[in-house]
Amino acid sequence: MTAWRRLFHSGSGATMLLTAYVILFLVFILLPIAAVIVVSFSSASYIAFPLPGFSVAWYAKMAANHDFTSSLTTSIELALVSACIGALLGCPAALALARSRGVGAGLLANLLLAPISVPAIVLGFSLLYFLSALSFGLSFGALLVAHSVVAIPYIVRTVLATYRAVSTNLEESASVLGASRWQVLWHVTLPMVRPGIFAGAMFAVLTSLDNLPLSFFFGTATVNTLPVVMLNYMQNNFDPSIAAISVVQMLIAVATLLVLDRVYGIERLTAA
Amino acid sequence: MSARPGSYRLTSPVWCVPVILFLAMFFIVPLAANLARTDAPQGWFFYYQKLLYDPYYAGVLWETVKVSLITTLACLVVGYPVSYFMVRHAGRWNALIVFCIVAPLLTSIIMRTFGWRVLLARKGLLNTLLMDIGLVTRPENLADDRIAVYIGLVHVLVPFMVLSITAVLQGVDVKLEESARVLGAGRSRTFLHVTLPLSIEGIATGCILVFVITNGSFLTMLLLGGSKITTLSLLIYQQFTTTEDIGFAAAMGNILILVAVLCFIVQYALLRRRNGS
Repeated sequence: MTAWRRLFHSGSGATMLLTAYVILFLVFILLPIAAVIVVSFSSASYIAFPLPGFSVAWYAKMAANHDFTSSLTTSIELALVSACIGALLGCPAALALARSRGVGAGLLANLLLAPISVPAIVLGFSLLYFLSALSFGLSFGALLVAHSVVAIPYIVRTVLATYRAVSTNLEESASVLGASRWQVLWHVTLPMVRPGIFAGAMFAVLTSLDNLPLSFFFGTATVNTLPVVMLNYMQNNFDPSIAAISVVQMLIAVATLLVLDRVYGIERLTAA
Repeated sequence: MSARPGSYRLTSPVWCVPVILFLAMFFIVPLAANLARTDAPQGWFFYYQKLLYDPYYAGVLWETVKVSLITTLACLVVGYPVSYFMVRHAGRWNALIVFCIVAPLLTSIIMRTFGWRVLLARKGLLNTLLMDIGLVTRPENLADDRIAVYIGLVHVLVPFMVLSITAVLQGVDVKLEESARVLGAGRSRTFLHVTLPLSIEGIATGCILVFVITNGSFLTMLLLGGSKITTLSLLIYQQFTTTEDIGFAAAMGNILILVAVLCFIVQYALLRRRNGS
């Protein structure tokens, strides 16, 4: 309470105005999300206010919709496997680059971070035609390649930051005491950079789950990701089942973030 | 064995080889192939000339720049006061504000767009409220309109702006502002001549980020624009779903990448200048 009072009463008129503005801003940010959550519990088959009644029918309908459930499974598998591939490829390179200096290392680091700067729709488009030429254009494998390319920068970024922040002393001591290079890696280095690997992988997972522009080109009748199915559905229908599946997707992301907070700490994410 | 402390090297450059091969194969080569794909039968620059000189496509190019610029400016104007508040006034409320700003990033863009449709549609929340107070008698569908696209874009992108500016503003010493005030500068003068110039790097980072992301996005335009706004990314999407003019879509993609690279170079130059001084 005292903090509120300080905020409102110690400040001048301008500060109060600013406070009111920030509250309005937060309402603007949260309102559409709140609206979707509310609508997902509507009992009507159309979207209109005030809501006629409360029901969980749309969640039941969503769970019974094979397109939604199978694409949700595909999306989750895709996100997890591509993050693992991104970690397997990106982590060793990040460890090698973290302590290197020079033009080459700098350029290479830029290359590894570049895939997030390229518009996803362009990358997806280019990869589709390239992979089709190799005759595996439309498949889970193609989606996996595309999402792994984008997962690499997230892993590299966090592992670079984490590994640069730890001193070499422990690794050096282990080595002096007779540990082999692999023993040092497994027992000393990896435990130290594990939070970075986790954080990067979580970012990659969250991005992958919502990366419609990248997945859009690779969908088939049997394999499709959730955002693509949602987009197709939304272009023909305006009913609360999209709201229900959105809420489910959000809960998955929130659960992921809670894990991330446990392992890495949310404070460090905004500081980066 | 390493001779001097701190020189121990666990890794070797060989560890970079797998990722380099992977990205060369699935990132560099496909994008390079995109360049080759724009080699039209009518000549190398055919598609690019079409983009620049055909009135329709030139209009789309212009619209893309316009939408990105307006969105960037709107994010700056909407976001800056929030950053300022977070750094100078929020105190223990800062964590809550950060949470509210980061939380939407966990929801899908489809969810947020759908939310705006729910709010802005003819029978949506906004129209219902306006009718109840009697401000509106005949509700308009605001969900398929230019303004809805801008609202949707600012909603998705303003967190990036706020976080970029906050990061720089945190490093600005509050004593500089206090000194200006003590020396007789008014509130607005202090802001314009002290606070704003000192936070210019955060503004630049945020603006470049928002500009580049807007250039690449098409979902908001597709779902909220009611085909009143066509940008380059949306056109790529449409080319793919309808006409399948691959060479032309590739040319548009190359232009988007060119813009992204230019923005990246500007940002790199800005970063170097800051590190140099």
